[in-house]
Amino acid sequence: MINKLARRRIAWLALIVIVLFAIAIVAAPVWIIQPFRAQTEKGIAVSYLMRRWSPYVTVGALIISFVLVGWIWSGSRRWFAKAALIIILLPLLAVTWFSRQNHFEWMFNPLVHTAYAKTNDANFVNDSDMVLVVTNNGESVAYPVRLMAYHHLTQDVVGGRAIVATY
Amino acid sequence: MWETTVNGRVLHFHLAGINNQNFIMRDDETGSWWQQITGEAIQGPLKGQQLVSVIHDELTFGLWKKENPQGRVLKPDEAIERAGKYAPADWEARMLKVPVATATLDNTLEPRTLVVGIKVGDASRAYPFDAIVKQSPVLDDLGAQPIVIVLGDDKKSVRAFQRTVDGRKLEFFAKPNSVPLRLTDAETGSEWDFTGKAIAGPMNGKQLQKLYALNDYWFDWKTYNPNTTIYQLGNR
Repeated sequence: MINKLARRRIAWLALIVIVLFAIAIVAAPVWIIQPFRAQTEKGIAVSYLMRRWSPYVTVGALIISFVLVGWIWSGSRRWFAKAALIIILLPLLAVTWFSRQNHFEWMFNPLVHTAYAKTNDANFVNDSDMVLVVTNNGESVAYPVRLMAYHHLTQDVVGGRAIVATY
Repeated sequence: MWETTVNGRVLHFHLAGINNQNFIMRDDETGSWWQQITGEAIQGPLKGQQLVSVIHDELTFGLWKKENPQGRVLKPDEAIERAGKYAPADWEARMLKVPVATATLDNTLEPRTLVVGIKVGDASRAYPFDAIVKQSPVLDDLGAQPIVIVLGDDKKSVRAFQRTVDGRKLEFFAKPNSVPLRLTDAETGSEWDFTGKAIAGPMNGKQLQKLYALNDYWFDWKTYNPNTTIYQLGNR
């Protein structure tokens, strides 16, 4: 009986450590890569690794956690222990979802359906507005700065040359 | 502005983060991270690779429209426009009042002085916009390359060119009272337009080679071009 109790404690501890680790690996790059904050080369490298692997790590953590929760749940008769198990799983589900999101595109929505107007139909730009211009093989394309300052980048093919316009 | 073909494959980019006030983009194909201002892959499988730069112009819409009546213009996304997320029309004036929070400040010029940054090889120089307005065409030598910087008729658009044609260095001056503007070179007396093309005279049909030129704030240009020099009005 004592043996079983000890194993349940280890299972609880493992569950908490796994959940905290998953939260840390998802939250740390968000913290490091903040606007208006200085970044270091090492900080960027670590953030890249965490962003790269967190979608897999969180799923692994989720599978192990479900097994642990199932095991603890089946041997538990106290309702508050069961409630705690569910509450512990919620942040893990949240970071598993977040690790697959690009929150920078929440701030600056990408142009999904890129569309162009002919020069003379472009009534959404004033003559005094600045535009970024790429010209190639006789084709010339203007990217209004006002739009680029928000989207920051858009893909295009100008005169047969595949480019990304950035600002 | 960058070419997206890398090792024979076209990459597709998304905004992925920020590194010291300059954004990082991520390509869907390999997941590598690229620094926008340098075009270099800083993390991931393609780390160390360099995108090929695409020389662009920064012009007023009115000037570009005259040069390219047959062009096309990127449209705003209607939902984003309706939500009011795009910058207001007067955002450039507002930006001038935003305080600067960069650590590597060089106060030779006021941080938000508007400059045109030009790079030739490893040499980079900041040309204060006011100096270009006063002196256009600005004749200079940058990293042993003779260059000319020209202000458009709108007094806002700027282009920079090499001023060596077929191994011959040219001295340009503005043709008085010409609208649209015309440059004349002292060596052959040919006439040149704002696109850098000779339209009359012995050089007729020749095209000046365009240079990388960026409209920027002084503090930003200095941050990413630490070895930049500053053009002094009346150097010549």
